[in-house]
Amino acid sequence: MRTDYAFIGVTLVVACALIGVVPILNYLIAPQTPNKSKRETYECGMETVGDTWVQFRAQYYLFALIFVLFDVGGVLLFPFAVAYNSVNLWGVIVVSLFVLTLLASLGYAIKKGALNWE
Amino acid sequence: MTVAQIVFILLTIVGLGAAFLVVTTRNLFHAALYLIASFFAVSGFYVLLEAGFFAAAQFLVYIGAISILFIFATMLTRTVRGMVPRNSQWQAALFIAVVLFIAMVAMFSPISFSLPIRPDRTFGGVEWQFAEIPGKPGVLRSVPDSSILDFGRALADLNQYGIALLLSGVLLLIGMIGAIWVARERKPREILAERARMAAEEAAEAARQSVGAKIPDVVVAHDSHH
Amino acid sequence: MDIINNLVKNLGDGIAAGIYGALGQGIAADILIMVIAAIAVFAVASGGFAGLTYAERKIVARIQDRVGPNQAGPYGILQPIADAVKLFTKEDTTPAEADFWVYHLAPIIVAVFATLTFTVVPFAPGVVGTNLNIGAFYIIAIGSASTIAILMAGWGSNNKYSLLGAFRTVAQLVGYEVPMLLNMLPVIMLTGSMSLVDIIERQAGWNGSWGLPFIVILPLSGLAFLISGIAETGRSPFDLLEAESEIVAGFHVEYSGMKFGLIMMGEYMNALGVAVMFSVLFLGGYAGPILPPYLWLVLKAFGVFLVLMWLRGTLPRVRIDQLLNMNWKFFVPLSVVNLILVMILGKVFVSDPALFKANGGILIQPLAQALIMGASSFALLMIALAIVTRRVRKDRMAEAAILLQRRETNQQIAASVH
Repeated sequence: MRTDYAFIGVTLVVACALIGVVPILNYLIAPQTPNKSKRETYECGMETVGDTWVQFRAQYYLFALIFVLFDVGGVLLFPFAVAYNSVNLWGVIVVSLFVLTLLASLGYAIKKGALNWE
Repeated sequence: MTVAQIVFILLTIVGLGAAFLVVTTRNLFHAALYLIASFFAVSGFYVLLEAGFFAAAQFLVYIGAISILFIFATMLTRTVRGMVPRNSQWQAALFIAVVLFIAMVAMFSPISFSLPIRPDRTFGGVEWQFAEIPGKPGVLRSVPDSSILDFGRALADLNQYGIALLLSGVLLLIGMIGAIWVARERKPREILAERARMAAEEAAEAARQSVGAKIPDVVVAHDSHH
Repeated sequence: MDIINNLVKNLGDGIAAGIYGALGQGIAADILIMVIAAIAVFAVASGGFAGLTYAERKIVARIQDRVGPNQAGPYGILQPIADAVKLFTKEDTTPAEADFWVYHLAPIIVAVFATLTFTVVPFAPGVVGTNLNIGAFYIIAIGSASTIAILMAGWGSNNKYSLLGAFRTVAQLVGYEVPMLLNMLPVIMLTGSMSLVDIIERQAGWNGSWGLPFIVILPLSGLAFLISGIAETGRSPFDLLEAESEIVAGFHVEYSGMKFGLIMMGEYMNALGVAVMFSVLFLGGYAGPILPPYLWLVLKAFGVFLVLMWLRGTLPRVRIDQLLNMNWKFFVPLSVVNLILVMILGKVFVSDPALFKANGGILIQPLAQALIMGASSFALLMIALAIVTRRVRKDRMAEAAILLQRRETNQQIAASVH
């Protein structure tokens, strides 16, 4: 019921206010003497070469994708878990088949070496 | 105006404003963040509709997973910043969007939105008690949400959503196979062929643009004769 | 005794009654009460953060045969305050090329969403921010927001190491969210509800159940949940996100002053959140004999955190490939198999006569059911560990053989040169 969620909304606002004030206080209290070398990108003293926003490896995308797969599967499993007591063995087998399909796609990804970190 | 209405208006402003910024901002990463803000507003709408589970599901799947996929995809495919988004088909996209919007309005307008809304509990105060746990006075059980229970039961029943559940599993499997195929390691010859194709396309594009740029030159030259 | 047991609840009720008396029943009073409760939740979370930084530094120091903080106050107990003062007075340097709003918002988002975790945690009977009927699921959902904040921090700093660290961290965090989710499911199945209060009371023994904590009935789920929870919060030995020797300090290398403090706060709150979640889901939360309930929750959560400190003090950091392999090739398949095992066992062996009448199965005593589940879950864990041990040993032997061969070749080359 949505009044249950009102408290979460209030906490979100209160926490944003209490935490958002912290960097501002820090800004007011702390000394501010920025100079060019302080504001440089930190790379252990090395000069920065090139742009930061370069292309990344496609592997990250595969990790994210298989995560999405299990995330969506997991979301569907939560209502089933709540209803577990009123479901019979056949229902459990249907859901097991679904979970095994997810496992099969994980197995396929592993077999193709998509989850090997190089 | 009730609190729910005020919250609804705020969420609408956030959601629509963020959605507008998604399509107008030039920075792809910022666009992804605005998209997340928009998703957040949508999950707030679910709460207002008394569908708490789907609000959390929206948060988990869209904010926690899909948007990360978006960000990874944008960072993997092209340079994110300083790219001028080039969309030669925006007229067609606008046309389709307008048609879909009209169709949606036409579809929903016959539906009466004055559904009988259950009398809500007073905000926070009087009616916190629902069902006490037997033998433990003062310990309240949460409100059992029958919709989650029904949904879960329907998922495990082949006569209801069981087939759909299994099919969605197969769909996810196919998606995985497709992604692995796209991200497979290519042979050097394939990569070279692809690069050549891309270079040819770029050259064609450049040629088209330079043709477009030359036209005023000709006009100016023509004018100077007079 | 009752007064002590219900201390927190009566205090809250008293404040609420006072406000209603002053403002009358109305929306203003409701909102004021909620704001006070929200501040209380924030105080618990940030107080836990301050206490844990001190406790962790002291205890890890003892484990490693050092003294730890001992200057600020007796036994260095004022160290958290000294830290806060130091961070507040530190100059806050912002990289010139940073993406202003993204860079400044990221630490705030980390800390805010870490705080939101505590809104659904039941601290004592009747003392809970809000008893959501989707409590466990809500915590997983809120936890996923920190991934976005980390990406924002990595991107906003405009530093290659930050972005690289953020990408690695996200690969780690999203990976370990899956076993957390999968190992929560058996608990929800046996409770029939996602509400954290229901889960605790189920373990405390209403509804004719066992009165056993779920760690006994579901040892594998509990262990996997704890380990993936540690990895999810990026604590040692899974602290690759701040591996100084590899990627400087990961996504927060460009943060200084209190913004760094906020990131730390968020991380500690998340770690505390995992400890509290583990105590609630598997150790029975506030349920316990003799002592007042809120003390039980604190004791259990601190006990779990002690394990986290112990791991941090003793184990070396794992490599990222090991980390990801352990998740995708071990934890996730194991959790899925465990889930199916629990699902089928719970249907075959039934302890509730009403369910037996409805669905069939074999009717047995509740304790016997708990024992069967616990034993099979434990057996599954042992089998999995045996398989992994054999596999790892084989890999190591192969590696050793390659090294040996290489050394022999080198010796032959050296001999032929002479």
